[in-house]
Amino acid sequence: MRMQSMIPMKQVTLKDLLQFEKRPLSIFMVLLTVGLLGLFATGAILYLMHGHHAYNVTREHPWGLLIAMYVFFVVSSTGLCIVSSLGHVFGIKEFEVISKRAILGAIVTIVSGFAVIALEIGHPIRMVIYNILTPGFTSAIWWMGTLYGAYLAFIIFEFIFLLRDDHKWSKFFGLGGLLVGIAAHSNLGAVFGFLVARPISNGVFYPIYFILSAMITGSYLLFILYGYKYRLNFPKPIEMMLKKLAKVLGLLLGILIFFEVWRMMTAIYGGMPGRADAAWHILTSPNFLIGEVLLGMLIPFIIILKSKGEAIKALVFASLSGMVGIFFMRYDLVHDTQLIPLQTLKIREYQLPPSFVEYMPSFAEIAIALGGVGLAILLYFLADKLFVLDSTKE
Amino acid sequence: MALDYKSCINCKACETACKEENGVLLGADKHRIWVGVKEIEGEFPLLNIASNTFYPSQCQHCDNAPCQEVCPTQATYYDENGVVRVDSDKCILCSYCMNACPYDARYVDDRTDTVDKCNFCSDTRLVRGEVTTACQATCLTKVRIFGDLDDPESEISKVLREREHFTLKTHLGTKPKLFYLI
Ligand code: SF4
Ligand code: SF4
Ligand code: SF4
Repeated sequence: MRMQSMIPMKQVTLKDLLQFEKRPLSIFMVLLTVGLLGLFATGAILYLMHGHHAYNVTREHPWGLLIAMYVFFVVSSTGLCIVSSLGHVFGIKEFEVISKRAILGAIVTIVSGFAVIALEIGHPIRMVIYNILTPGFTSAIWWMGTLYGAYLAFIIFEFIFLLRDDHKWSKFFGLGGLLVGIAAHSNLGAVFGFLVARPISNGVFYPIYFILSAMITGSYLLFILYGYKYRLNFPKPIEMMLKKLAKVLGLLLGILIFFEVWRMMTAIYGGMPGRADAAWHILTSPNFLIGEVLLGMLIPFIIILKSKGEAIKALVFASLSGMVGIFFMRYDLVHDTQLIPLQTLKIREYQLPPSFVEYMPSFAEIAIALGGVGLAILLYFLADKLFVLDSTKE
Repeated sequence: MALDYKSCINCKACETACKEENGVLLGADKHRIWVGVKEIEGEFPLLNIASNTFYPSQCQHCDNAPCQEVCPTQATYYDENGVVRVDSDKCILCSYCMNACPYDARYVDDRTDTVDKCNFCSDTRLVRGEVTTACQATCLTKVRIFGDLDDPESEISKVLREREHFTLKTHLGTKPKLFYLI
C-alpha cells in the first residue's frame, strides 16, 4: 500500500481493530467507551434539534461546560506535547521512550476537543471561512484557534516522522509543535485574562497558569496511559522514566500550589468588589476545595513527597484523581469568570437584586462532555492497534 | 445618546417599543434595552427616597469597545456613524463578546442564531430616513436625546456642553457614549 510507505502502519484488518483482550479491565473499558460514545451521539442529536436551547447557557452565563471541556482537552494535548518534547526535542534520555505515545495522546485529545467545541460554537463552518476572510487580530480567540489549527498540523507531522524513525524531521516538527502549542495555549489563557470587565480573571495569571497546569496534566496522563498499558508491571526503562517524571511532577505541583496561594491572597487583599467577593466564593466552594485542591493537587503531591517520587504505582491512581481535579480546574475557571453579574441593577419586577450567577450544565452538555472522553479513548484504542507506539529498543 | 435619567418613571414603554421596532423575540433574556432599579436604601420609616432612581440603559456604543476587540471574525464593527454593529452573516456565535461586554448589553437572537444588541435602530428607523430611535420617540417624559456627537450644533452636543453628566463603569476605559445627565 502506498499509504504505508509514507506512514508506517501495522497490517490490520477491520476485525483486528474491533478485537480486544477478554480481561475484566479491558472489557470494562470497551463497555465504558461504547456507553460514552452513545452519550456523545445523544447530546449531539439534542443539540442539532434544539441548538443552544439544549444547553443551560444564558445571557449572563454564555459559556458553559462545553467550553470547560474544550479547555480540558487542549490543556491535555499541550501538556502531553510539552512533556514528550523533554525526550526527543531536548534530548533527556529517560523521556525518549514516551515520545510516540505522548504525541499520539496529544493528537487524540485535541481532536476530541475540536469535536466538543464544534458542538458549542454556533456556526463552526462560518468560523473557518471568516477566520480567514476577516481575521480579528485583536481577538485572543482568533489567535488561539488559528494557532491550535497550526499546532495540530505540526504534531501530526511530528507523529508521522516519529513512526518513520526520522529523528531530524521529528525533532523539527516537534520543536515547531511545541512552540506553536505553547503560544496557542497561553492565548487560550489570554481569552480569559484579557477580559477587562471581569476582575477575577483579568490579568497575567491565566496565560502562565495554563502552561504550568498543562505540564501537570500531561504528566498525569502519562502515568495513566502507562499504568493501563503495563497493568502496573513496568519494565525497567519505563519505571525509570516514571520515577523521574514523578519528581518533575512534584516540583510542578509545588509551584502550582504556590501560585494559587498568591493568586487568592492578591484577589482578596483590599476587598476590591468583583474580585474579592468572587475569590471568597471560590474559596468556600466544594468544587475548589475538594475538586481542585484535594483531588487535583494535594493527593498526588503528598504521595510524591511521602515516597520521594518512588511510589509510581500509587501515582497511577493518584493521577486519576489528579485528572478529576484538573477537570474541576477547567470547569471552575470558566464558571468563576462569569460569577459576578455585570448587570448590577434589578431590571424586572419581583426580581431579587443580582447576586452570584448560577449555572448547572444540562443533560445534553454533560452527555457531550463525557462523550468527548469516550471519543478520545476510542481514537487512542484504534491508533494503538494501527501504529507501533513503543520504541523498538524495549 | 444622552439620558435625562432623573425624569424616567420606569414605565418600560421604551423596552416595548424597541422590541416592536426591531423584532426582538419575546423572553426575559431577550432585550436590547432595560431600566435598572436600585433597591431603596434604609429602614422604614427612614427610607432614602433619593436612592430610588431608575437607570434606563442599553449598549453604550463604546468608543473603545471590548466586544469589538474580542470578536474573532470582525462580525462586530464600528459603522460610519461610530455605532457598534453586528454583522449577523459573520457572527459565529462564540459568545466571547457577551462575556467581554462590561454592561451585559448583548443577547442571542434566535432568529439568526447570532449575537445581537442595540444598534440605535440603524437598520430599521434610521435607514428609513427617520432621525429618532424607537425608545426616544416613545418616551413620554423625554428622557432620551439622540443625535450626532460630531456636530457641535446638534441638540445632544449642546446638552452635553451645558449639563453635568456621567457614564457607567468609566474606569474601564471603554469610553461609553451613553451619557447620564445630572
Ligand atoms: S420610556 Fe422613558 S420614562 Fe419610560 S422607562 Fe423608558 S426611558 Fe423611562
Ligand atoms: S456596551 Fe457592550 S456591546 Fe455595547 S459597545 Fe460597549 S462593549 Fe460593545
Ligand atoms: S458571538 Fe459573534 S459578534 Fe460576538 S464575538 Fe463571537 S463572532 Fe463576534
